[in-house]
Amino acid sequence: MAVKRKSEFRKIMKKYWKNGTAVLGTCLLVFFIIVAVFAPQIAGVNEMGNNYQIPRVSWSSKPIAPTSEHPFGVIGGRDIFYGVVWGTRTAFRLGLIITGFSALIGVAIGSISAYFGGWVDEILMRIVDIFLSIPFLVAAMVMTTILGKGLDKVIIALIIFGWMSTARLIRGNILQAREEQYVLAAKALGQKDWKIIMKHILPNTIFPVVVQMSMRIGSYVITAAGLSFLGVGAEPGYADWGTILSYSRNWMTMLNESWFAIVFPGTAMVLFVLAWNLVGDALRDIFDPRMRS
Amino acid sequence: MDSKNALLQVKDLRTYFHTEDGIVKAVDGVTFDVYSGETLGIVGESGCGKSVTSLSVMRLLDEKGEIAGGKIIFEGRDVMAIPESQMMKIRGNDMAMIFQEPMTALNPVFTVGFQIMEAILLHQDVNKEQARTMAIDMLRKVGIPEPEKRVDEYPHELSGGMRQRAMIAMALSCNPKLLFADEPTTALDVTIQAQILELMKSLQEQYGMALVMITHDLGVIAEMAQRVVVMYAGKVVEYAEVLTLFKKPRHPYTWGLMNAIPKLDEDKEVLYNIPGVVPDPLDFPDGCRFNTRCPLATDKCRKEEPPLVEVEENHTSACWYVDKLVEMIKVSRAGEGA
Amino acid sequence: MPLILIGVTLIIFSMIWALGPDRLLASYIKSPEALKTPDAAERLIKKYGLDEPMPVQYLKWLGNILQGDFGYSMVGKKGVLPAMLERFPYTLELTIYAIIPVILVAIWLGVVSAVHQNKFIDQFIRVFALVGWSLPDFVFGLLLLLVFYSLLGWFPPGMVNTQFDLIMRSAEWNKITSMPTIDALLNGRFDIFVDALRHLILPVMTLAYLWWAYLLRITRSSMLEVLRKDYIRTARAKGVPENIVIQKHAKKNAMIPVLTVAGGSVIGLLGGTVFVETIFSRVGMGRFLADAATLLDYWSIIGGALFFSFIMIVGNLVVDVSYALVDPRIRLE
Repeated sequence: MAVKRKSEFRKIMKKYWKNGTAVLGTCLLVFFIIVAVFAPQIAGVNEMGNNYQIPRVSWSSKPIAPTSEHPFGVIGGRDIFYGVVWGTRTAFRLGLIITGFSALIGVAIGSISAYFGGWVDEILMRIVDIFLSIPFLVAAMVMTTILGKGLDKVIIALIIFGWMSTARLIRGNILQAREEQYVLAAKALGQKDWKIIMKHILPNTIFPVVVQMSMRIGSYVITAAGLSFLGVGAEPGYADWGTILSYSRNWMTMLNESWFAIVFPGTAMVLFVLAWNLVGDALRDIFDPRMRS
Repeated sequence: MDSKNALLQVKDLRTYFHTEDGIVKAVDGVTFDVYSGETLGIVGESGCGKSVTSLSVMRLLDEKGEIAGGKIIFEGRDVMAIPESQMMKIRGNDMAMIFQEPMTALNPVFTVGFQIMEAILLHQDVNKEQARTMAIDMLRKVGIPEPEKRVDEYPHELSGGMRQRAMIAMALSCNPKLLFADEPTTALDVTIQAQILELMKSLQEQYGMALVMITHDLGVIAEMAQRVVVMYAGKVVEYAEVLTLFKKPRHPYTWGLMNAIPKLDEDKEVLYNIPGVVPDPLDFPDGCRFNTRCPLATDKCRKEEPPLVEVEENHTSACWYVDKLVEMIKVSRAGEGA
Repeated sequence: MPLILIGVTLIIFSMIWALGPDRLLASYIKSPEALKTPDAAERLIKKYGLDEPMPVQYLKWLGNILQGDFGYSMVGKKGVLPAMLERFPYTLELTIYAIIPVILVAIWLGVVSAVHQNKFIDQFIRVFALVGWSLPDFVFGLLLLLVFYSLLGWFPPGMVNTQFDLIMRSAEWNKITSMPTIDALLNGRFDIFVDALRHLILPVMTLAYLWWAYLLRITRSSMLEVLRKDYIRTARAKGVPENIVIQKHAKKNAMIPVLTVAGGSVIGLLGGTVFVETIFSRVGMGRFLADAATLLDYWSIIGGALFFSFIMIVGNLVVDVSYALVDPRIRLE
């Protein structure tokens, strides 16, 4: 059995590396990880204080086009290159924390719902319906407006309104898995319910969640950046792609003079999200049982 | 019988599927004829290439499948040379097909009547009103009660047996010359199975069409067919008239299939299952493809592939030990008993 | 449905309640004069009932909402409800223009992609959609504004030109639908209609773009699944021509998950109007919400959130109803 699992795993990996888009996604991701890890070496550090605060290089708010000293230009007195590089760290932090916690909550609520069934399930699923009835972005906006500015508040808001789809997914999968032969067999043998869930059901239902998580990291980073762009996210000057973009709101009618404040952080954002989407897409193709036969 | 008069001739048909893991030779040299008005049975376990054979004849293979060799001749025309636009007119009109799962073979979002009328409107020169009347007639013929009402119902509103009847009505609506029935009763309850088989028999007599009955169930073959093709792993292993086959099977695989039928009138337990499963089509064994499961296999069987030889008139078998088979099986039985 | 409405109002109210009495009080006071006396704050908290237990406050607030009193909007400089009703037609117009091309193009492309699975055209559409799906709407909007306005000068932001704006504010202008393009036609001013359209192109593209990649992906995967079904083979075995097999037999089935999955999400993406209206300086609900957030105008934010949620709930209801229309298996229940 163990041998068979291993060869199956190897087969999956082989398939993964054969998939061109998956390889592209993985390479992009590795690139971003390198940038994030070596941010101090690439862009330097802020000697005046917190590294996540983009150092001021000018007191004029006028955008300065890219020069050799500031390769991505300057906006609002801040060096865009520094912001984009350190923003990579912010993006990873945002994406991983929000996705991790919301998936955790989702898995917990989904499993409880499927495990107990009955009125517990009914109530939890109604709560899911209610949370899903407020548009995600709007809910996040209200939440951050009330909590106040700051990246931590953005993270809290997105976790609170981000767990529902995972809960639904895991609940559906567990309900389906419960009808499978091996689970019925385990039940017939008198195994305890929670043991069955831990041993038989969760391992078989967790893959779709992993796929979903990898796809969501990108969208959470986008939403967080969007909140910063609207001015209800990170504080001004924070090394965050959305914050850099928000500076161009002051130059909306003269974007040609501040194009670099859109193009560079925008490109970083697109590639980052694309990387996760490509990886998620490839994982889904691989784990989709219908595609495997 | 002279194969020149055959309605359908299949000669050395080879159908391969190009998959990621390699070429799957689902059908690998299959030959048979079908004559007007008769029933030919194709029998074998699932995965033996029976369904692929019928899909090849109707040219309904998906894009991965390809007819890699052989000839299919229907009413004297080379089916593989017919352009797709012509083929569309043949499908449903001259050749029709019914499938195993009446649950999934009918489109859930269209009414039963619509799905029958569609075939009629495609192939016959009638208007909608006439097509509807014909559809209702057809439903009545296949024994669906209240056809005027049922015609406007959706597939999910009918029971499994009724759905299969509707499927048959659809297939027969244009009076085809040849009907493929791919495991038509497998998904149904035993009592309903008998009804459906009875219905198909009487409709065949009424319409005089040829029927190719594809099944894994020799009981169905005994009930329906005049001649039988036994398939194993993409090849024909035995061909005979139905009585001959049941009296004097000359291939160990056929023996195995027969012994898998429980016989109620015998005291002793003869319930015997062929050990193992049909080999992976990506990895057929050398020599005779049945050698991995054959109780009689020798070194010769593992090295050389046996040809299909005539053992008597209208009876062929592909086994190295055709002549000794009866004897050997007795010995093998005795050995097991000891 | 009433349960969901109560749940949504409860969540939204508890968010504002979490502000605490002091900060809430600030939103009631229009000038610092009111707080001159030392005990004024406490008196006012009492007066507005801000120290009462949450359920009491909630019921009071809900009562006000039901009577149409959503509080005072600093952004709109009038009541929240009239301010929102004034802005809604603009957002509606934008949405209608965006959704029609999306539905047509995305579903068509999704079907094409599925039918030619793994062929060049499929790979091309998939990559295109994936890149589209990865490009945030506000970045896309900013890029459009940069290229088509700042560099080329073709499509300006805003609603209409200044001189037309004056006409539309004047007394002789008949406000019938409050949607600029339609009112322009109804008033017989074709020039204003063309100008309003010109201002609509970029925002419509941005908003439409948000939906189409998503819809395309769902259509494609749903179509792929349906094409593998037995009844498709049945249809082919009947001699149905391939294009009818796809357009009729497969597409009708494939639209069921497209409706249920995409329907809800598409409505959820309405939040995108926040970015679109902000970037292209248009008046509308999205912009209203964005401005309220920047100004910390709590009652406007809450009103906007209620409004968007209400639209979403009604939208989901419409989706459920149309689901039953497409899938006969649902109709019985």
